[in-house]
Amino acid sequence: MHRAGERADYPITAFSAANGLGMSTAAVLEALRSGRSGLTRCRLDIPFETACGALPDDLPPPPASLRAYDTRLCRMALHTLDEILGAVQDAVRRRGAARVAIAVGTSTGGIRESEFAYDEWARLGRLPASFDFDHQHTFHALLEVLRAATGADGPACVISTACSSSGKVFGTAQRLLGAGLADAVLVGGVDTLCQTTLRGFGSLQALSRAPCRPFSATRDGISIGEGAAFALLEREGDGPVRLLGVGESDDAYHMSAPHPEGLGARLAMEEALAQAGLPGSAVDHVNAHGTGTPANDVVEARAIGGVMGEAVPVASTKGYTGHLLGAAGATEAVFGVLSILHGFVPASLGADPLDPLVTISVSRTALSRRIRTVMSNSFGFGGSNVCLLLGAA
Amino acid sequence: MKPLHVGGIGLWTPGFASAAAWRTGAPDPAVVAARPDIFPPALRRRATPLAAMVASAAAEAAAQAGADLGRLSLVFGSALGEQSALSMLEEYRHDEGMPSPTRFHNSVHNGPAAYVSIATGNRRFSTTIAAGWETPGVALLEAAALLVQRGGEVLLVLADQPPLPPFQFQDPFPPLAVAFHLSEAPRTATPLAALRIPRRTEGHRPRVPAPFANHTVAGALALATAVWNGSEGEVALGPAGARGWAVDVLPGAPP
Repeated sequence: MHRAGERADYPITAFSAANGLGMSTAAVLEALRSGRSGLTRCRLDIPFETACGALPDDLPPPPASLRAYDTRLCRMALHTLDEILGAVQDAVRRRGAARVAIAVGTSTGGIRESEFAYDEWARLGRLPASFDFDHQHTFHALLEVLRAATGADGPACVISTACSSSGKVFGTAQRLLGAGLADAVLVGGVDTLCQTTLRGFGSLQALSRAPCRPFSATRDGISIGEGAAFALLEREGDGPVRLLGVGESDDAYHMSAPHPEGLGARLAMEEALAQAGLPGSAVDHVNAHGTGTPANDVVEARAIGGVMGEAVPVASTKGYTGHLLGAAGATEAVFGVLSILHGFVPASLGADPLDPLVTISVSRTALSRRIRTVMSNSFGFGGSNVCLLLGAA
Repeated sequence: MKPLHVGGIGLWTPGFASAAAWRTGAPDPAVVAARPDIFPPALRRRATPLAAMVASAAAEAAAQAGADLGRLSLVFGSALGEQSALSMLEEYRHDEGMPSPTRFHNSVHNGPAAYVSIATGNRRFSTTIAAGWETPGVALLEAAALLVQRGGEVLLVLADQPPLPPFQFQDPFPPLAVAFHLSEAPRTATPLAALRIPRRTEGHRPRVPAPFANHTVAGALALATAVWNGSEGEVALGPAGARGWAVDVLPGAPP
């Protein structure tokens, strides 16, 4: 547990997101506000039908200096980072390169390219000439790309805890800032559609054939998506939204099923609130993990109700983007920032008819109201939980 | 920042089932797979080799410190993670090919930390970090920052195994897991050593035996060796070059 009296909150001075809803934060915001889903029929070569959230436009290749790192992950990261690149580079100038850290989440890294490379090796007995395991497959390749693009040269790490990965990077950033080990931290998450996750979740029979319907009585599984999101956290400075608290816990229960009473989820939400010194009743909106699986949604709804009461407006945004896996935490944190800045709760797409076992206030239509605090939940394989509490400055 | 106190060290690598065995210098050819006692039979059947060696080293470090593994925060550092992610690639070449559910959920980078958490009923903090050959330095930094934030005790485990063909390195290395029990205050009257906060430096290769020279977590073995030898001063955590990390070791309890 975080020590009482220790500073926990830091300003978010820049942010960006790209996913199935659009290639820019503005396009993503427009879709969220209008209730437009980015889920469509999945075009990957997979042996079943499912919906997924793919970036709508092509991604340009990286600059020549980063050509060895050319993967869809790299392209997506650079494209999404570009929106806030000026702010990050300005932080590097102001703070010094060694004082700007990077913490980014991904679950599969560059494995999409390894899938193609392996197939060529199996057919032809050699890996493609363009394939470079160290520069494309590995997690640290992503760090090298982000370092090169931003000039940041402080501590850099990937946090990979499955679907909580890019929520937990906010915790890493909070600790680096709190311990005086960095003055600014670029956090984010990136994951691409690939065979590994689609066939993997397919093997678990966890995928919905149609766009996912979190909290609905007729929900039958998740939709996978791809995307990236970034945010800049700084020790000092002005940002319209602040990170108020981060709760992190484990379920200690099962590799791929949530604790049946949501115990780990509750612990994480309670820790985020405790860091902020706020009661559950102070939360204005919850962006739920809300995957759309029969197992997750009822358990999470009970945990939310137990910690924050049943009146707080709750939405899952998985019906817009699909489950972005290692990019989900950062993406939904950006959604939380947008809710605070623009005063809205997005409609929880697909929630009608609501599961009668879900007794919290799932927002089936968009709400316009003043939002001062948002709790954003992300839970992952292995029972890894993270909850972010965001608040208006 | 205050120094971190090392209360225990665990190790697993083929030929050596424990740190104690490693220090004898005599490999046991029968040690080819880790067999952690902390896993109940159901977990033991499903656990990957990486999860097993992480659990084995973690349990040894916690036991040496006299700590309850079920009540420690866990920082797991691994540059490459689970081989099962690569072992599934063959499945995708077949139209109807699907990985087994167990192999899929075992493919996540945090699988080893999760197995330890599940086996010990530990709902406290855990995280899983990757940073290439900087992993030992950056994971130690995360453990240090965690102790600043929360106090108490942290178990840091660093482990990797070589990538599967056709992605193997030209200079392959053996599987290796090294675990450190770290605490803000000395857990016992005679802690093994104290560590300053790791720092960036013009790095040198960690001083380790030849088979581990290019290992992603060689720095963990170098640090363990320095602690066992009662060394004082800077220990290179790797990698060589501008992005190197080092940590200053203070033998025993610092003044």
